[in-house]
Amino acid sequence: MNITLKRLSFCIFLFSLFLFSTSIFAQGKRITGKVTDPAGAGIQGVSVKAKNANAGGTTDETGTFALTVPQNVTSLTFSYVGFTTQEVALRDQSTINIQLTPSGSQLTDVVVVGYGTQRKREVTSAVTSVSAEEFNKGNVTNVAQLLQGKVAGLSISRPGGDPNGGFAIRLRGLSTLGANTQPLVVIDGQVGADLNSVDPNDIASIDVLKDASAAAIYGTRGSAGVLIITTKRGTSGPPKVSYNSAVTAEVPAKFTDHFSAEEYVAAGGVNFGSNTDWNKEISRTAISQTHNLSLSGGANGTTYNASVNYRDNQGVAITSGFQQVNARLNLTQRALNNKLVFNLNLTNSRRTSSQAFSEAFKYATIFNPTAPVRTKNPLNDLSGGGYFESNFVDYANPVAVLEQNKNSQTVKRLNVQGSAEYEITQGLKFLVRYSQQTFNNFRTALLPRTSFHSRNFLNVSGFARNGYAMKGTDENFNQLYENTLTYDTKFKNLSVTALAGYSYQSFLNQGTSIGAGNFITDVTADNIGTALDLKNGLANVTSYKNASRLAAFFGRLNFNYQNIAFVTLTARREGSTQFGANNKWGMFPAASAGLDLSKLFTIPTFSNLKVRASYGVTGSLPPESYLSLSTFVADPNREFYAGNGSWLAVYGPNRNANPDLKWERKAEFDIGLDFALLDNKMTGTFDYYNRNTSDLIFNVAVPVPPNLANRTWKNVGTLSSSGLEFALKYNAIQKSNFSWETGGNFSTYHVKLSALSADIAPGSYIGETNLGTPGQEATQITRAYAGEDIGLIWGPVYKGLDQTGKYLFDDGKGGTTKDENTYRTLIGKGLPKFEFGWTNTFNAGNFDLNFFIRSSIGHDLVNTYRAFYENATVVSAYNAVKTKYYDPAVKDGQKFSSLHVEKASFVKLDNATLGYNFSLSKAGPVKSLRAYVNGQNLFFITNYTGVDPEVRYSDNGNALAPGVDRRETWVRTKSFTLGVNVGF
Amino acid sequence: MGLALTASCTKLDEKELLYDQVVQDQFFQSNRELVSAVGAAYTNLYGFRGGLTNVNEVTTDEIVVPTRGADWGDGGHWVRLKLHTYKPNDSEVNGAWNMLYAGVNGCNRLLATLEPLGTAQSIAFIAELKSLRAIYYYWLLDIYGNVPLSTDFKDITPPPNSTRKQVYDFVEKELLDNVAKLPKTGPNDQSTYGRVNFYTAQAALAKLYLNAEVYTGAAQWDKCIAACDQIINSGKYSLTLNYKDNFVKDNTGASEFIWAIPFDQVHAKGFNLNHQTLHQESQKTYNMTAQPWNGFATVAEFYNSYIDPTQNPGPQGTVVGLDPKGTPTTGTVDKRLSNFLVGPQFDANGVRLLDGASDPEDPDGQPITFTPYMNQLEPRAWRQTGARINKWEFYNGMTSDLSNDVAIFRYADFLLAKAEAIARKNSNWNDPIAMALVNQIRTQHGGVTPFVTMTDVSFLAERGREMFFEAFRRQDMIRFDKYNKAFTFHPADADKHVNILPIPEAQINANQKLKQNPGY
Repeated sequence: MNITLKRLSFCIFLFSLFLFSTSIFAQGKRITGKVTDPAGAGIQGVSVKAKNANAGGTTDETGTFALTVPQNVTSLTFSYVGFTTQEVALRDQSTINIQLTPSGSQLTDVVVVGYGTQRKREVTSAVTSVSAEEFNKGNVTNVAQLLQGKVAGLSISRPGGDPNGGFAIRLRGLSTLGANTQPLVVIDGQVGADLNSVDPNDIASIDVLKDASAAAIYGTRGSAGVLIITTKRGTSGPPKVSYNSAVTAEVPAKFTDHFSAEEYVAAGGVNFGSNTDWNKEISRTAISQTHNLSLSGGANGTTYNASVNYRDNQGVAITSGFQQVNARLNLTQRALNNKLVFNLNLTNSRRTSSQAFSEAFKYATIFNPTAPVRTKNPLNDLSGGGYFESNFVDYANPVAVLEQNKNSQTVKRLNVQGSAEYEITQGLKFLVRYSQQTFNNFRTALLPRTSFHSRNFLNVSGFARNGYAMKGTDENFNQLYENTLTYDTKFKNLSVTALAGYSYQSFLNQGTSIGAGNFITDVTADNIGTALDLKNGLANVTSYKNASRLAAFFGRLNFNYQNIAFVTLTARREGSTQFGANNKWGMFPAASAGLDLSKLFTIPTFSNLKVRASYGVTGSLPPESYLSLSTFVADPNREFYAGNGSWLAVYGPNRNANPDLKWERKAEFDIGLDFALLDNKMTGTFDYYNRNTSDLIFNVAVPVPPNLANRTWKNVGTLSSSGLEFALKYNAIQKSNFSWETGGNFSTYHVKLSALSADIAPGSYIGETNLGTPGQEATQITRAYAGEDIGLIWGPVYKGLDQTGKYLFDDGKGGTTKDENTYRTLIGKGLPKFEFGWTNTFNAGNFDLNFFIRSSIGHDLVNTYRAFYENATVVSAYNAVKTKYYDPAVKDGQKFSSLHVEKASFVKLDNATLGYNFSLSKAGPVKSLRAYVNGQNLFFITNYTGVDPEVRYSDNGNALAPGVDRRETWVRTKSFTLGVNVGF
Repeated sequence: MGLALTASCTKLDEKELLYDQVVQDQFFQSNRELVSAVGAAYTNLYGFRGGLTNVNEVTTDEIVVPTRGADWGDGGHWVRLKLHTYKPNDSEVNGAWNMLYAGVNGCNRLLATLEPLGTAQSIAFIAELKSLRAIYYYWLLDIYGNVPLSTDFKDITPPPNSTRKQVYDFVEKELLDNVAKLPKTGPNDQSTYGRVNFYTAQAALAKLYLNAEVYTGAAQWDKCIAACDQIINSGKYSLTLNYKDNFVKDNTGASEFIWAIPFDQVHAKGFNLNHQTLHQESQKTYNMTAQPWNGFATVAEFYNSYIDPTQNPGPQGTVVGLDPKGTPTTGTVDKRLSNFLVGPQFDANGVRLLDGASDPEDPDGQPITFTPYMNQLEPRAWRQTGARINKWEFYNGMTSDLSNDVAIFRYADFLLAKAEAIARKNSNWNDPIAMALVNQIRTQHGGVTPFVTMTDVSFLAERGREMFFEAFRRQDMIRFDKYNKAFTFHPADADKHVNILPIPEAQINANQKLKQNPGY
């Protein structure tokens, strides 16, 4: 704040100077014209200045301007926030009509907020817009990837290079422990849409609603922020065809370091005589391709945009990858003199993926490096499949795992949305929207009779079950119905926009699966009915169906006083079936205000200086239905003996019901500053927020007795967090043949579990996780305590070795102990101190170059690979991990300690693109042609010894346990893409 | 469509959205549903072979779960059971507690539902459920001592500890109040098989009284004898012709079963001894549908109590010896040696099993030989060491859930209980009635020579041979003051606080009224 005030007084000083340096010009020429945006609409407020002279003005509401300039003026500059400043040479013309192109920073002046749009300058809460130009490039298969590192406060990570893996998206650290730690996604108005139902190629812009006042209009599901996705739409005019294509080569960038065959044998490992690099055996240069064809245009009140995307992606692990076709149609029809607007959005996609097995990289690290891949020796061809296998826990030939077993999914997504908006009278519009979304996943697994692999996946081996097959299908279906009424009016100098709405959404999830073994031949395993298990009662059949509903009333009032002062008031009252009878409804209000100081004082350096403050409340739902109800289910594995060989299904409670379960509430205060200076060459945003999430919904340990089960979903406590976000863009050089734009964002946050509810014993912890199987299921590695930041990595402090090679740990009293359980304490923090992204774009002639650097600083990771295997004593079964921390003197069983917790700060070159725009004759059929090369993950700077130092924001869904690098993480990869964009 | 939706615009009753579960109020609509609900109190017992058995066996001289290199390290909790250094957050300590209180709570819940009904069937169930709950509390007081007494399902305030004496009094009173209302059905009566009947309650009383001195400081030998006599004199039970008959796959209704868990590979899953004890390669011996885990075993010292002619006089013959190779030697051939799987192992076609991953130091090499000898407890017990537990019949094609029923209370146990109570009451281990009861078992089950003299040591050894791995060894060793003494892989305990286990850390964390047991 201090800095801001200083800057302000400096500006006032400059302003005073201007007042004294008046100049009068007697004679000049009059220039008029109109400034429009790419859609043809006039832009109000564009600064028009004569070069080298004190003459200028701004455009009016229709975008027109008129000014008189001295005769000697040779050019005019047009500048406006969010658009590239243009310079137009003055010769003899008296009319200049120009179109401003949006600058990289903002596609348009318009920001999409919940249930409507606002001009950027009217926005009074923390909202960031990212346009298609700013998206990450290259082999981007997931929408989250587009935004990675682009928005201050929005953390996106996907450790490892699994092409079928999902991204963790966290806004401002952690907002909630409820169902939605990931932001709510709204696609073209469809609330709660699946982020993966839209192809990255089809997106025009993404708006991120960061603070509670912006998100409050979405009430219940806005706690983790909102991503509003706007897809590309057609504009009136002749059809435009564009074709984009890219091919990508992806290679592993780093494997987990381990003993070579020689080192393994020297350490006492059994030598089978070969020298196998297991990681090489299971990985490859993955080749992927993407094709996007789109068609758009419009006439007679109809506009359309249709596109088809095809993706064929390979993963770096052999046999992994997916193919996807995604088709989208956006159709708009205007009628009744444009008073009635129909909108139709259709998306259909089908993705067939080979999921492969994440354990393969673990096994490649720990499998005996002297073993051959294949063998006919019955001592090691244990399952008769011709692969070398050994009988150790959690251990299998990784090549066999990937080659023999099939784990595939076919995901079909269908989104249908229709809306009609009618303008009843001037400024009063009524909108009806109906949309539905269907997600269907058809899963198939085939484990042949010769497959030895048994761990984790389905918990069976094909060999042990004489072949095993699984088929299952899951369907999620939701329907949304909304009405909104908006009214725009003006009272003298005050513009008012009012919105009232009703929303109803239903969710239905159902599915079934069959798993059965014992086949005569693997070939017919797709006919699961031939499995003998079905006849002898050993098959597994599951089936489920559950549902929930949301209903909400909402309203918003926007006030704009002469584009100087802005106030927004929002409220949403929302009810959910998922809470206790008396707690179903929640109220989520918000208020925000902004003041454009540059409109109050004509501050020379600043063309925009807006301060804003907001407060809002959002809510969070529990992750599943029925938690407040006492219900009975049958346990299919436990039937009751009813005598004479007969059995009875037993019904009993499936949870500790919590009839008092209520909304988790997040209250957030945000103050921000938006500014533009140096003729809009530099724009920036600064935010500070402070928030409290109370009545956290968490599955917390409860005493048995009196409870039936040892966990209950309860409202357990309060999470407090605060943080700073800063984003800056600067058009450093803007010449006709060369330009350089640079921008960056910086965010820092810390999240504290500030209180736990009274029925949880003082000093106790929640959210603990364990190191895992095999053998370390009870070894706790993280905890969350009341009064502490979340992300505590917890364990014994390593203090060296004794003379016999046994581990020594801090005993908490100044001495050492061999017992790792004597004293456990904080040994790391899983969340970063700050994160930043830095992007640079250069244009020189027909060439453009962009590179993007991303960084997270200050987080630690539990390197579980090292915690399990960095110890030569494991060679009796496993190959040992060997990093710079490896100590050959260890002669002890492996024990987790601070030795295995590492600083994982990193800076990486996330993305770099070099493009060339071909100069084409205007008469030719091809209107534009661009070719580019792109590299992703080109280099990392980190001290972390594991494969990927990315932040782990949660651990298998446990948001209280960040900071655990699991062995199931895929290897990190880097990729190179060659692409063309053609416009017709 | 839109209008239809608007009509239900604010209706948020979740009960209308239930599809795969039923609201409690809508259950209990028929007798069949009632029995199905009561069954839940019993199916909880399918967890009997988990934490409950493990804390009562792995802590004793009968069973060891060694760390075999990368296998079974499990954060050291198996080793801690053996060393009596168990911690409040160890998995088996938690497992036993959770299973037992799930049983208690299940009974409480059903009692709260049944008590208002007042039908003949519900009244019969109430006596049965109260007795079953008392048995769950008997285990709790035996293992954890000062456990919280929770009896009213509607009372959701976390309960404080009760003293061990209070829990003892509660168990005794509940059993005595309800025993007469229970049916006097025999071991193979299908109307009560697997359920608590009159004799089950008597057996529980006998166990309570046998250990009363440990629990309360006051011995109750006469009461123990009386409870045993209710069983013995009923004429409904007898020793099986062969010891093994109690443990074969099709053992339902065996003549010794006072109370058994009717395990079944399809319907009643939870008995996975085959996985706990057999070597991975043993899969081929039995054509198992999953691979075993090579864990639980018996050590030479305990195995020797069967073959050593001094401890166990009887017919001599060739038995697997105690050296690292398991070399055949001469020893007592007790029929109950079938409790163990030792010696060379073969696949189903008689081909010797080989372990491609065998330990280089193991003198048996790759050919698999199970030896009573075990080189160490941790960290690298050889993969083939340890006599494997073969008490319940392993059969061809077995899955990870065995179909053999498991007796919780077995007739032979109460012959021994009566013998012990008499001997202790008279302070004479050579009491002729006691000796006759013991020798009845020795001759019929073991095929070994009757004792002519008996001591507390030889009696405990006999209990061990007969009751091996039936989840009583911990309380037996405590009663005979052997639990804190040194035995294989277990140095003597510094003090006796370890005779009751710590209350799980999760419970102490979640229940502020709960105090940890002394010494933890």
